[in-house]
Amino acid sequence: MLITLESVDKIYNSGAINEVAALREIDLTVAEGEMVCLQGPSGSGKTTLLSVIGCIFSPTSGRATIGGRRISRLPDHFLTRYRRELIGFIFQNYNMLGHLSVLENITLPLLPLGISPGRREKMADALLDKLAIGHRKHFIADQLSGGELQRAAIARALINNPPIIVADEPTAHLDGKLALEIIDLLAEQKADGRTLILSSHDPAVSGHPRVDRVVALRDGRISSQVSAG
Amino acid sequence: MNTPFFGRLLNILDYALSSLRRNLGKNCTVFILFTLVIFLFASFQLMTGGLTELAQKVLVTAPDITVQQMSAGRQVAIAADAKEKLTGIFGVSKVKERIWGYYFDESNGANYTVIGISLPAGDDAGGSWLGLEEGRLPRPDERGKVVVSRDIRDKLGLGSRRHFSLFRPDLSLASFETVGTFSGTLDILTADVILMSLDDARDLFAIVPGFVTDLLVDAGNPLEVETIAGKINDLLSGVRVITRNRILKTYTVVFGWRSGLGGICLLTALVAFAIFAWDRASGLSREEVREVGILRVLGWQTNDIILLRFFESAVIALLAFFTGYLLAWIHVAGFDGTFLRPILLGWSVLRPSFTFVPQFAFSDMLLIFSISVFPYLCATAVPAWRAAVVRADSVI
Repeated sequence: MLITLESVDKIYNSGAINEVAALREIDLTVAEGEMVCLQGPSGSGKTTLLSVIGCIFSPTSGRATIGGRRISRLPDHFLTRYRRELIGFIFQNYNMLGHLSVLENITLPLLPLGISPGRREKMADALLDKLAIGHRKHFIADQLSGGELQRAAIARALINNPPIIVADEPTAHLDGKLALEIIDLLAEQKADGRTLILSSHDPAVSGHPRVDRVVALRDGRISSQVSAG
Repeated sequence: MNTPFFGRLLNILDYALSSLRRNLGKNCTVFILFTLVIFLFASFQLMTGGLTELAQKVLVTAPDITVQQMSAGRQVAIAADAKEKLTGIFGVSKVKERIWGYYFDESNGANYTVIGISLPAGDDAGGSWLGLEEGRLPRPDERGKVVVSRDIRDKLGLGSRRHFSLFRPDLSLASFETVGTFSGTLDILTADVILMSLDDARDLFAIVPGFVTDLLVDAGNPLEVETIAGKINDLLSGVRVITRNRILKTYTVVFGWRSGLGGICLLTALVAFAIFAWDRASGLSREEVREVGILRVLGWQTNDIILLRFFESAVIALLAFFTGYLLAWIHVAGFDGTFLRPILLGWSVLRPSFTFVPQFAFSDMLLIFSISVFPYLCATAVPAWRAAVVRADSVI
């Protein structure tokens, strides 16, 4: 299994009066090349679960293994390294730097790797063409439409060629047709052997033919797992 | 150079430069203030160095030893017959009398230095050794003839006239005629000087006949100056013996003291600037926190962010340092240190108008670098670390 979570808990502000148990006793496995959709109401723990899988933070307790590496209780330095090597993260609100061009935004993950500007642009060009926004390469991110921003965000998530794509509500700000296009684009990554874990309220996402499994969350617990097809 | 390590450094430096360009307004303020501090520091240092260098040059013409009589800790006139005793000391080649005093010109609010000497005859009478701009020295047999600086001519409003008068202590007038003008190249020493014969100076200051203010001693061998100075001390009671080296040291101390005083003020300015830099660097805006959060999610390590902030600070600091130093050099070499001149040379109403020749010393440059750039980088280090530890989940 590419991703294995065993009895994972995530508690915010542990021991404080405002303690929140965001995840409780999560057991989840995701195979390589699988596309998993997390569903659940707001506050059910979808984003927290994606953040644990995305190596953004460690679980409070339990055992989490991503790509064969145990990430539970890892120092920040190693989490960052694993995130860089294993994970492409797509945000609900795109999280592009508005003052940078699309090209600069997309190549940000490559800067600490010491990749030369020429090679960075070449890598970005290939992705931008594939995602059909090559003509917006030199546009400032603030000038892009929602659909273009999400395509750019996908390009940024893919630039390191990570085996796992984590997408948090990737279609939340897009209309039906655009949302479908984005899900199609994400689903295409399966063909390259990538594993996708995404969260969405949108039934069109969970009902997408390429989605292998829908995992429902409620109050920080997995309430059901349904394999598609 | 093309390894990932250097590639990483270059990429982060490139990102830092573009970040500085994006925040031009904010960074310009820091840059301008920092440049100003460096400019003032470097100007002080270059001018002090230039003055000390100049003092060394002009003191070449000064006597090896100056002897003055002291009474109750103050200088008084010395009996001219002491000259005979000094001439008898082994190693002394020449002893001259001098009357040195100050004349306050009330109408102009200026203080003149009056120097009366035994005027030379023969080859030295032309005054070429003194670098006169025009005219000559008074002859030994002439009375009431003087050499003044161009500044004094202007102060006295002489124009093309040659005659002027000064008051004796009893308020009677002593008349003088200018026969020569000092060269501007020695202005640091001669800007306020009226040179005349010993008798004229004695008459002007009403000094008792047979007395002078100083005796000037030349040693045949420069290596024996200190020994001769010691012998003079033993021979004459209650005298102050000043060697040329001691005068040079005094100049250095005076310039150094003035420069040091300015330096203390500037140090305060530097501390204020460091606090300002800290404040600017530590006050992370929401947008900056978001940017760091995004970079962290995208795989930037804490040390990548610290490096980014370090490059931003270092670029500003180095640019400000070299700009400030260059401006200081232009200020001193090209504009004679106009802004700081009154602080360093403010001992006289008639300020010398000599040209500064700044002296470059790598050690001095390093000193300014270490008391300005390093503190700035330290002041921004902690805010940089605080920015770097912004958690990746801050953007989730």
